[in-house]
Amino acid sequence: MAHQAHAYHMVDPSPWPLTGATAALLMTSGLAIWFHFHSLLLLYLGLTLLLLTMIQWWRDIIREGTFQGHHTPPVQKGLRYGMILFITSEVFFFLGFFWAFYHSSLAPTPELGGCWPPTGINPLDPFKVPLLNTAVLLASGVTVTWAHHSLMEGNRKEAIQALTLTIILGVYFTSLQAMEYYEAPFTIADGVYGATFYVATGFHGLHVIIGSTFLAVCLMRQIQYHFTSEHHFGFEAAAWYWHFVDVVWLFLYVSIYWWGS
Amino acid sequence: MTSASGDRTWMDPRGCLFCRSSCPERDEGRIMFYKFNGFTQRLSGGAGPAAYCPQGLKPLVSTEPPTMIFDTPTKSVSELEGGGVHFLGRNKVPDFQQIFQKPDGLPVHLKRGVPDRLLYRTTMALTIGGVIYCLVALFLAAQPKKQN
Repeated sequence: MAHQAHAYHMVDPSPWPLTGATAALLMTSGLAIWFHFHSLLLLYLGLTLLLLTMIQWWRDIIREGTFQGHHTPPVQKGLRYGMILFITSEVFFFLGFFWAFYHSSLAPTPELGGCWPPTGINPLDPFKVPLLNTAVLLASGVTVTWAHHSLMEGNRKEAIQALTLTIILGVYFTSLQAMEYYEAPFTIADGVYGATFYVATGFHGLHVIIGSTFLAVCLMRQIQYHFTSEHHFGFEAAAWYWHFVDVVWLFLYVSIYWWGS
Repeated sequence: MTSASGDRTWMDPRGCLFCRSSCPERDEGRIMFYKFNGFTQRLSGGAGPAAYCPQGLKPLVSTEPPTMIFDTPTKSVSELEGGGVHFLGRNKVPDFQQIFQKPDGLPVHLKRGVPDRLLYRTTMALTIGGVIYCLVALFLAAQPKKQN
């Protein structure tokens, strides 16, 4: 049997990059076909393929790390760099939307009435549900840290409890936000206020859903004994992502909900 | 006599590298580590730890193999009474490690056999079918509209 004389991970050939690229093709073309010919089939096909790719690719990474032992310290270092760079790219993604918001709100045009919020817009009261949402996400930051410490101390039961609580708080945030969206007196089509509000908070909500899903996968892995007290990078990556989502919300709350009202 | 980091690797019982006669550093129990400053072109004394990391790079992640602790440090109930109470299931990771480390030459995405093959073939069928459907749809979309 061949043995490697280095600590790095030479991955087995995998079909998932190809299926993922195909999913991207189908989703983009599907969007265009939907716009012009009202058919959703291609788009749905792309989304299905995306889901299958993500499940199988990340399943394989879990197999390679937890079951095959490929995630040595140098490999883990690479994974850490990767996650940090990815989160950094997401920061720049949101930076763009904050730029758009400040561009429009710092110097409101005469078409808006020369004021912010624009004439006719009734903004949401920042001290009602949005403040509750802030408390919910801050609390979830505490619970995820509690989960991490329990994990590092080898306390299985508490780690599972804290992680479950974090996910519940994430789902609570999402449902509160969904109800706000339903009840709001303005829509995405209501000028630049509606556009900046819904695009920025909408992408944030999507990231909350992604983060909650990542944490849920970590919960399943923790229940199945994948994590040890020394080695649990999947959980750390999920916690970093969750803190990032929390920080973005704080900026959204202060800029759009509070200052912007 | 040990160095500051607590191990004896740098202590040579035959004396330090530079002179076998007594030297104040050795008598005091400290070992001198000399580093060359490329800017001033001079030797200068350095502390022990600098000898171990000359570039100043410390490992980001511990290079020691981690001790695996799957549960609480104290013996859990399930260990005391052979397989009694488990909180949310028994630890099946060692079994999976056996399955996935079998030297059967299969790539990791097909290692479990039938369920993996099924999922892979479904995904591939959707991929190939999807690409063909996409190309046909784009070809049709690119056709000019009939003018009346």
